[in-house]
Amino acid sequence: MFETIDQVVTLLHQQRYICDRKLATVIFLALKMNKPVLIEGPAGVGKTELAKTVARALDRSLIRLQCYEGLDEARALYEWEYGKQLLYTQILREKIGSLFAEMEDLRAAVEYLRQHEDVFFSEHFMVRRPILQAIAAPEPVVLLIDEIDRAEEQFEAFLLEVLSDFQVTVPEIGTIVAQHPPLVCITGNSTRELSDALKRRCLHLAIGYPDEERELEIIRLKVPELRDHLARQVVSLIRRIRAMDLRKAPSISETLDWAQALVLLNVDQLNRELVEETLQLVLKYDRDVQQVSAQLPVLLDGADGAARVTFDNMDLREQQERYRSNERVYFSSRREE
Amino acid sequence: MDVPITRFVALLKRHGIAISPAEVIDALQGLALAGIDDRETVRVALRSTLVKQCQAIAEFDRLFDLFFNLPAPSKPASPEAPGDAAVTLLPDERSAEAPDAVRAELAPVELATDQTTRAPVTPEREGVDLSLFGQHLLLKQRNDPGQDGYKPTFHVNARQNPGLPGGGELSTGDPGDDIDLGGALEALLADLRALEVDEALLEQLEAQLAGSLTRLPDLLRRYRARDAALHKPRDAATAPPRRSYRFNDHERRQMDEIIRRLGRQMRGALSYRRTANRRGRINVSRTIRSNLKYDGVPFFPVLANQREERPRLTVICDVSLSVRTTARFMLHLVYSLQSLFSRVRSFVFVSDLAEISAEIERSSLEETIDRVFSGELINTEENSNYGRALEIFYERYRSAATSRTTLIILGDGRGNRNPPNAWILEALRRRCKQVIWLTPESRGSWQLGASDMPTYAPICHKVEVVRNLDQLGRVAENLVRSAFANRR
Repeated sequence: MFETIDQVVTLLHQQRYICDRKLATVIFLALKMNKPVLIEGPAGVGKTELAKTVARALDRSLIRLQCYEGLDEARALYEWEYGKQLLYTQILREKIGSLFAEMEDLRAAVEYLRQHEDVFFSEHFMVRRPILQAIAAPEPVVLLIDEIDRAEEQFEAFLLEVLSDFQVTVPEIGTIVAQHPPLVCITGNSTRELSDALKRRCLHLAIGYPDEERELEIIRLKVPELRDHLARQVVSLIRRIRAMDLRKAPSISETLDWAQALVLLNVDQLNRELVEETLQLVLKYDRDVQQVSAQLPVLLDGADGAARVTFDNMDLREQQERYRSNERVYFSSRREE
Repeated sequence: MDVPITRFVALLKRHGIAISPAEVIDALQGLALAGIDDRETVRVALRSTLVKQCQAIAEFDRLFDLFFNLPAPSKPASPEAPGDAAVTLLPDERSAEAPDAVRAELAPVELATDQTTRAPVTPEREGVDLSLFGQHLLLKQRNDPGQDGYKPTFHVNARQNPGLPGGGELSTGDPGDDIDLGGALEALLADLRALEVDEALLEQLEAQLAGSLTRLPDLLRRYRARDAALHKPRDAATAPPRRSYRFNDHERRQMDEIIRRLGRQMRGALSYRRTANRRGRINVSRTIRSNLKYDGVPFFPVLANQREERPRLTVICDVSLSVRTTARFMLHLVYSLQSLFSRVRSFVFVSDLAEISAEIERSSLEETIDRVFSGELINTEENSNYGRALEIFYERYRSAATSRTTLIILGDGRGNRNPPNAWILEALRRRCKQVIWLTPESRGSWQLGASDMPTYAPICHKVEVVRNLDQLGRVAENLVRSAFANRR
């Protein structure tokens, strides 16, 4: 268990995850307050990774629920095992028959059966899905509910009971309360607005693109083979690309992929052909690739020098806004030349 | 600690950030756990517990900075001053340091007055609490441990000392009051003289008070400026609807979000058709039927599911001169619709009608808009002719309107006195699941000039006035709301 915020930072760092104090504070609070964390941010900034790392750092097992359209409670909470129930009924047919032999009329038989129906609706016949698994786990776990915005709004309603009280109610059995409240991490790409009820029950953590130094630090940690000056160039260029108006801006995972590729290609210096050839790793849409390669000379020109703007703790939109206005000035001055 | 936080929450709420009482409790709990030693920690603890919308984070940060940033004393008071000065302002041998102390002490008063003006029924305790917390933040942030714990005591004493700066008069926050304050001080000095205290000390005190009095207006001005900044309405909300045709990232995201919301609505309720599926509920009749071969023993349960219908959209957009101001917005809407949903067919028309689904698939939003207005596809300089466009659509593209499609028409319905061909729209209505007409013109102006909207409107399932993102958002909201009403 984490005792101080700084300890969170160190432990996560030991697990090869670089985070700032902000992030660590939220994780610390979530653990201390027994609250779920809702992590939002663009794809590929390490939301899922954070949950995995926290699980490792705490030495807890991770139970993951990947959300998708059409996810229902039968897949997320629990399900009755119909097949097994039917099979048991068949096998026990003789036994059941003998039990009913002495019943004088049908009414009594039904009454007798009703008294014993809980045999077939016991935990024995229940398939535990991730959420119930996490609740019923004998030791504390980390429950990761990934990309919740992919699931429908109705699904959020199933989660509410779990998130606020760490319990699951099964009508046939009763309420199962967690012995050890799990640390719940919910990730989302904010593709749709989550319901207020869900948000109210969570601590909110918005992860944006990291600042330049932190991104460099991440590259150094994850791709130590990449030479330092090249890493700087990569980060600088990525940040310039991010500032452009793209359908999907490259995030940390793309940066890392690219850095890895540059190591494999044994590159010494970024140049235009090379970047054009490898741009597919960074950008996921054809249109984006075309747009970036059209402006590549300018972008590379800028990437050589030191970064022109310093970005501290600005939020994502601010960063992009700032970048773009910067870029506009830059481009217009070039055109005048 | 709870009072300043609830005040801060009230401020956030006034600026449009929704916060529930449960979240306030969380915030206090969080602060207690995380500690209030470090300003950034406090910020994160409050933000993660109170602010759940990514869009509101910037606003939160701005308000946090304003609220918890006390105007600092111009020079830190000497560390040994506190204890004695706190007891009383009456001069002693160290009173040379007192001006500093007075200045330092005014800072908390400033914040306290700020609070009392907003919520008048506050006993002085709260002001003390607030300054305790605020100063704690401020002092720690400046890494000046010597002063810790000093100013609060000073402040308490100042407050209990009637007639000294920091008393009740200041609390009104009205600059006019400083004259009364001066009078009160004068009276106090006269009383002191009557008590025959040492003259030299009295003079010192007088000079000192004069100093703080002259600073008072300036102080109040600063307080007012800060107050004004806190009360300033958000510019974004009050700004007039944007007319720019270039779409920035934020607008694009907003548009996407609204359209997703629309889409969820248009997807409609669950269909009655149940299909066998790997998951779902047991379908008794099918289970029995398929298990007849096992002597009627339901060995393999058949599960069935209600399928949700996917939205199928057909969008027809007017790009003529009369709607030129909104046409780009409308095209943006069309573009977003097609990029977000899988089964969308898009058409533009003036007098001719052309399909642009393929264009949208191929090129970016700006390129599409440029291409449409370049006149390559259709002649955009003509007068719009709704009747003809509808006819062409009906003749050639009728297949795009089936019983499962929602037809969206974007346009002002001004057909320049050409025959409106309303029967085609009626026929389309019968074919389609739903016909929605989004027009940029408000209902009042339909009667003016040659508008066919009064003819078309009753045929459509829904007619909405949309000319910017806000309105589009509202339309989406209404659609959702009416859907819920129908379900009940």
